[in-house]
Amino acid sequence: MSSTAARRFLQDAAVKSADLMHREVIRRGMDSYDAAHLKGRARIKDWEAARQKCQEIKREAINHLDRYLLQFEEKVVARGGHVFWAANSEEACAYVKNLATRFNVRTVVKSKSMVTEEIHLGPALEKAGIKVWETDFGEFIVQLREEGPYHIVTPAMHLLRGQIATLFQEKLGQKIESDDPAYLMAVARSVLRQAFFSAEMGISGANFLVADAGVIAISTNEGNGRLCTSVPRIHVAVTGIEKVIPRLEDLAVLWPVLATSGTGQGITTYSTLIGGPRRPGEADGPEEFHVVLVDNGRSQLLADPEQREVLHCIRCGACLNICPVFRHVGGHTYGTTYPGPIGSVLTPHLNGIKEFNHLSYASSLCGACTSVCPVKIDLHHHLLQNRRNATEAGATKSSERLMFRAWRHAMLRPRMYALGGWLMRKSLRVVYGLGLQGTVLDPMRKWNRYRSPVPLPSESFRARWRKDRAAS
Amino acid sequence: MPQAEKTQSENSSREQILGRIRAGLRTVVKVEEPAATASECVIFEPINNPLERFQQECVANLMECALTADAASSARQLAEVLQSLPDGEIFVQDDPSLRRLVELAAPGRAIRWSSQGAPSEASQATVTLAEALIAQTGSILVTASCGGRGASVIAPCHIVFSTIAKLLPDLATALTRASQERTLGHNSFACVISGSSRTADIEKILVQGAHGPRRLVVILQSGN
Repeated sequence: MSSTAARRFLQDAAVKSADLMHREVIRRGMDSYDAAHLKGRARIKDWEAARQKCQEIKREAINHLDRYLLQFEEKVVARGGHVFWAANSEEACAYVKNLATRFNVRTVVKSKSMVTEEIHLGPALEKAGIKVWETDFGEFIVQLREEGPYHIVTPAMHLLRGQIATLFQEKLGQKIESDDPAYLMAVARSVLRQAFFSAEMGISGANFLVADAGVIAISTNEGNGRLCTSVPRIHVAVTGIEKVIPRLEDLAVLWPVLATSGTGQGITTYSTLIGGPRRPGEADGPEEFHVVLVDNGRSQLLADPEQREVLHCIRCGACLNICPVFRHVGGHTYGTTYPGPIGSVLTPHLNGIKEFNHLSYASSLCGACTSVCPVKIDLHHHLLQNRRNATEAGATKSSERLMFRAWRHAMLRPRMYALGGWLMRKSLRVVYGLGLQGTVLDPMRKWNRYRSPVPLPSESFRARWRKDRAAS
Repeated sequence: MPQAEKTQSENSSREQILGRIRAGLRTVVKVEEPAATASECVIFEPINNPLERFQQECVANLMECALTADAASSARQLAEVLQSLPDGEIFVQDDPSLRRLVELAAPGRAIRWSSQGAPSEASQATVTLAEALIAQTGSILVTASCGGRGASVIAPCHIVFSTIAKLLPDLATALTRASQERTLGHNSFACVISGSSRTADIEKILVQGAHGPRRLVVILQSGN
């Protein structure tokens, strides 16, 4: 673990897991999610069949990705919309920036979209002198704090109402009289209403791209996604190529399963379908509709037979919520757009295995993530595969390689191995005897720093084995 | 293919991405066949009494659902809701049935019809029809034909008038019907709305009325 990202991860993880306030906030948030999620699951008669159905839908879509994307594109273009294929972040940002310039856009309202976070679209537009308003309440809060989302579904779950009241007081230039969540939401609503009605461009993500109907599907609870796609003159949807699904009817399962896994709801409040700009005779709606399909490394995953299914992910956040590592270190510690198990699997593919291999180890491999994934992605095995791939690609530290070479050498020479074991037992006994466990003199320091030492056996495994065999 | 040519000019990466996708898909991924496919299983509990289920789900979604017997009682119900709101303009989908209803319910009230454009930000309420009601999730399905996009999200109160004939048992039925009737071919927008606008972004505490309506009222008429 020599990369800067890895060092930062360890430092931040140590700080966050010792931060009692943070632990309490996350525990409360997750407890309330757990209760809602279980209740939501109970409303579905056969949850396992629902997961399997979603897996089948996504597998079919991904295995025919070119065909379904082309079908989607054809329908959108026929309705007067535009589809842009972006190979990477730069291309996607440049396309949106050029659109903004062409239409003289000065203000943009954005609804929540993890892909726009991934490609850093907000900062790119701000750099071009365009004011960008995040309009999802949680995103609005973290934007004011100048930090990234803490969680892919609830971006501000690490904050208490008092902190948000103080933030609003400082940043919004108005007197904040209460820290009641309903009051704070009303404040944000009135600020953002002005933004909605003055912005020339609305940017959204898409939860699904429906191939046969040629529409994007967006799930939001607050209605900000609705306003972003209804009021401004231009609507741009930025999304990943893997979001496509074959049929409109597939949403009859995907919508309830996404909502159940994301928040425990039976269905998200606004499940919106948009297929083009305002049609003649319609009362309102944007005159321009653009879909930006972002690849950014996704197509490379298709060629990986083990990990192609990572593209099935519907970004519900269930694996983050259940992950014991996420619950201890929190979302920001990962230092990635996508935190938690899915982020640890995906980030090395998107941003480089050398820099982000350490995330494969940010897991106890307990498999809780795999057990809740609504599209049945085998997350914890993918983490193991990433570990193996990194080792094969030589992305591991030279000291680690040296250590394993020495271990291999000893393993092939039983006497040397026995001698090593004997030395280790003797020296540890001395270290523990002197009360030095967990100090720099302790070879087991990494383990013993935060835990009581494992009791030392009086003899080697081989000695015990021989004895037992002789006795029987 | 003219469409490919059209997109090509502004889109040099299109063919490159498609090429990478096709190359990637040449790798065959073996999948263990499950004992039964999901389509053989019953995922959702079948709905025997759609009206009862719809009413239950409305309560769960924090919506108001008023069951009325005829047009006159629907008008009374609408009048009651409108009276509970502050004075000011209301926005109404321009449809003959709603014109009749609003004439009875709110004579003299300032009205903006959807034929005049989008609702103004100051509208106190919007009154629209729905394409369908969905019992399974307690939802209304609206499209751009139901007064446009803003009609269901701009005002603090959205009132939906529907006859019981539009009540469908579940999402699957609603989406299959939308597919068959090419609803999205005729509309640039559709939305399944299941309750009033809400957020739980602060400490997971539910707040009703985020960016959209605080109230969603369904007037469900059983007779003529």
